[in-house]
Amino acid sequence: MKHVSKLLALLLAFTVVAAACSSDEDSSSSSAPAETEAPAETEAPAEEEAPAEEEAPAEEEAPAEEESAEIIYDYGVDEDTIRVGAIADLSGAFAPLVVQIIAAQTAYWDRVNANGGIAGKQIDFWVEDNAYDVPTHLERYEEMSADDGVVFLSQSTGSPHTAAIAEALVEDGLGAIPLSWYSGWPDPEFGENVFESYTNYCYESINAVDYLANNVVEGDAKLAVLSFPGEYGQDGAAGAKIAAEALGIEVVYDGEAAVIPGADQTPVITGLVESGANLVWLTTNPTLLAELMGGAAATGFEAVWSGNSPTYNYMLLATALAPILDSSFYQSTYNLTWNAGDTPGMADMVAALQEAIPDDPVSDAYTIGWTEAMAAHQILEAAAASGDLTRAGVIAAANATTVDYMGLAPNQGYGGEINDFIVRESYIFDIQADLFTAGATIAGGGSTGSVLMNGGPYVSDVTAAHVYEGACFVAE
Amino acid sequence: MRGRPNLYTSYASESRLFPTRTQQLAIGIGFILLLLMPFDLPVIDQVPLIRFLGDNAWLRVVNRMLIFCIASLGLNILSGLGGQVSLGHAFFMGVGAYTAVLVGGPGSSNLWGWGLPIWIWLPASGVVAALVGILVAPAAVRVRGLYLAITTLGLVFIGLHLSRIFPEIAGPGSLGRKWPKLEVRIWKEEEPFLDFSRDGHWFWFDITDNQKTYYFLLALLIIFALWAANLARSRTGRALAAIRDQDVAAEIMGVPEVKYKTIAFAISSFYAGVAGALLASFAGQMPPEAWDLILSVEFVAILLIGGIGRISGALAGTFFVVLSPRFVEEIIEWMTEQAEGDGAFSGMWDFFISLGHGDFGFVSINETALGYPIPYSSLDEIIYGLLIVLFMLFEPLGLYGIWINIRNYWKGWPFSY
Repeated sequence: MKHVSKLLALLLAFTVVAAACSSDEDSSSSSAPAETEAPAETEAPAEEEAPAEEEAPAEEEAPAEEESAEIIYDYGVDEDTIRVGAIADLSGAFAPLVVQIIAAQTAYWDRVNANGGIAGKQIDFWVEDNAYDVPTHLERYEEMSADDGVVFLSQSTGSPHTAAIAEALVEDGLGAIPLSWYSGWPDPEFGENVFESYTNYCYESINAVDYLANNVVEGDAKLAVLSFPGEYGQDGAAGAKIAAEALGIEVVYDGEAAVIPGADQTPVITGLVESGANLVWLTTNPTLLAELMGGAAATGFEAVWSGNSPTYNYMLLATALAPILDSSFYQSTYNLTWNAGDTPGMADMVAALQEAIPDDPVSDAYTIGWTEAMAAHQILEAAAASGDLTRAGVIAAANATTVDYMGLAPNQGYGGEINDFIVRESYIFDIQADLFTAGATIAGGGSTGSVLMNGGPYVSDVTAAHVYEGACFVAE
Repeated sequence: MRGRPNLYTSYASESRLFPTRTQQLAIGIGFILLLLMPFDLPVIDQVPLIRFLGDNAWLRVVNRMLIFCIASLGLNILSGLGGQVSLGHAFFMGVGAYTAVLVGGPGSSNLWGWGLPIWIWLPASGVVAALVGILVAPAAVRVRGLYLAITTLGLVFIGLHLSRIFPEIAGPGSLGRKWPKLEVRIWKEEEPFLDFSRDGHWFWFDITDNQKTYYFLLALLIIFALWAANLARSRTGRALAAIRDQDVAAEIMGVPEVKYKTIAFAISSFYAGVAGALLASFAGQMPPEAWDLILSVEFVAILLIGGIGRISGALAGTFFVVLSPRFVEEIIEWMTEQAEGDGAFSGMWDFFISLGHGDFGFVSINETALGYPIPYSSLDEIIYGLLIVLFMLFEPLGLYGIWINIRNYWKGWPFSY
């Protein structure tokens, strides 16, 4: 008996270490930002004066008016507070990324409160950890959807997690913004009360393949498509193929679903190199991007590379891959990267975060949290303006709102016919490795090395004409 | 002679499940408390621990714990009773879950599912997992100890790979798919005969979905616990214990090793399969990555903390491992309130809690902190790791061992030295 438990203990130690090293999916790449986090002792004084310095942002709407008496409300709202919830992955696989997203959201709500809140009510931003586990997510949801819960969820981390609460959201009459870019969200049958942000994998692929084939690749484009199996990988690959078919681009290598995490990538790399492609479209993660791009480059293969977000991560610029990323990689995203592009929203966010979290490292993740909070803020403002801060009132307001991201991302609507409100634009960036310094903090402004091309969002004619009928890669 | 501890006059009395009056009484009271727990009854609400576990939001956590209890009872049969170390428990749970969704889930053009009722898919999930367990068992006869652990470790990765090859069963990529709900239908009719996943009305009471699910899972757990307890005192149980203590000696005494190791794997996998199906159905949607190594490790930890080889140890370990993160969270919240307030001891709590910049407390209340001070979302993992180390060093019998010590102390009281 005793030797069994000794053996178990030994195993436990071994497997925990092994699990920590094995880096499933994105964890290794996304954990990079955490390591570079600057220690807090450098300079803190900026934080103390934050509340005193009123900045009066553009979206601020007359908080002083005594409206609260006329506003009706049910759950999550009382005389002087509005409770907004976020079920976030603070200790699971995506924690390093999500922690930054939540930091940006927190900074946003703090500023809203400093400026008088919404309709004179302060925002109580309630964050709970789901550890990237579906049952835990549901438990957190149970707390947040209770009568003393929240009026709106400004974040629900994870695709399966959000899908697991989608039905309950409708039953409870509660709305949520997902931290997930599954293409099925705009479909009301799948997530009626899920208010997605930005465009989807499929449209992103079409836009980028079109743009790169016509503006960056020299001569006729010969496309190679490489992706993970599954909803993310195959939706991205489907988009690239739609673009190729519509634009008459030859697909010389079809590696849809061929990139399996943890497997040997040599056959994929060999196939890619032999195909003679000059444009490579990936739908993977940063670890696989490094493996595939590094492997192909080692054989002397040269092409224009790009891929769906989050195939690329700016932390790759801190690796030996930087020169080749600089010369041949183009980043595609749904929203602006850190300090990129000349828009009022970006200037506003950078200034606000420099005040709130100056010692945190620069990261592309802040835009995501900031825009999530902007969407929730504008929805709640609209609900308050119509005098109805009940959960149902907030949903109604959301369906009538077009969120203005002030140039941080294409504006996002939710109500009406899907094809009228679905976002089709995405962004394309050139990588300039020398702009990025690992360990740079927000205080210095800085850059993550992505330089916006085309001067703003890009939409392909193919995307503009596409009729949305659900995800491009149909799963159910 | 009656009522003396450790004095048995027949085999029957020695192998009784609850030999003493005290135990029978304690089990009876415990059972009544468990039955009444989900309701806000005035008397029950005075009992510490139980008072808040019955709250709706907590009840969901308790329900997950009940499912984990079934799974850890299964691993206890294999590892605790049979001495076979397995890291493949999550795989068997996955087999059960995917059997459930294949048999009971809705089918479509891209997903396979037969939409059959729960009384078919729940037993099927256990049976299929048991059959897969039988396939794996021959490996356990060839290798033992660490080698068996490595062999079963491979199962978890085979499972993940299979989920990628068969998106028709596992659903697309990391999105997973919808599981059948916990509801009883006679056949495929529209209205379920008994629905555990929706609020409703039973007899004279309004009852929530969590309360219904609680009773359903509690009933299942009692059946599985009694089965496990009975197994331990049967011929099979004694054979397994003999193999655990010294397999060569057991074989010399005429215990067929192959047969009993196969039985142990089959029964353990049956438990895991049913628990996996329940967990996935309870969550509604699961990605294939949910059945990973960490989940297997969690069950090993449960057995180590609770006390290996004991039903009560497995149950106590599950209670501890599943609920302790929530307790830690509650305590930190309470400490934060204390530290922020002006109470007499606020300075003491402030020593632990870091409220902002420059505070020297080692626990940060800021969710977005990484590194030091420790954000409380990662604190539970540290405590959990520390406890495993401490239990291994000082109490290898786990929580069960602590209980035995307490019991023995009071047995001889006031002459306990």
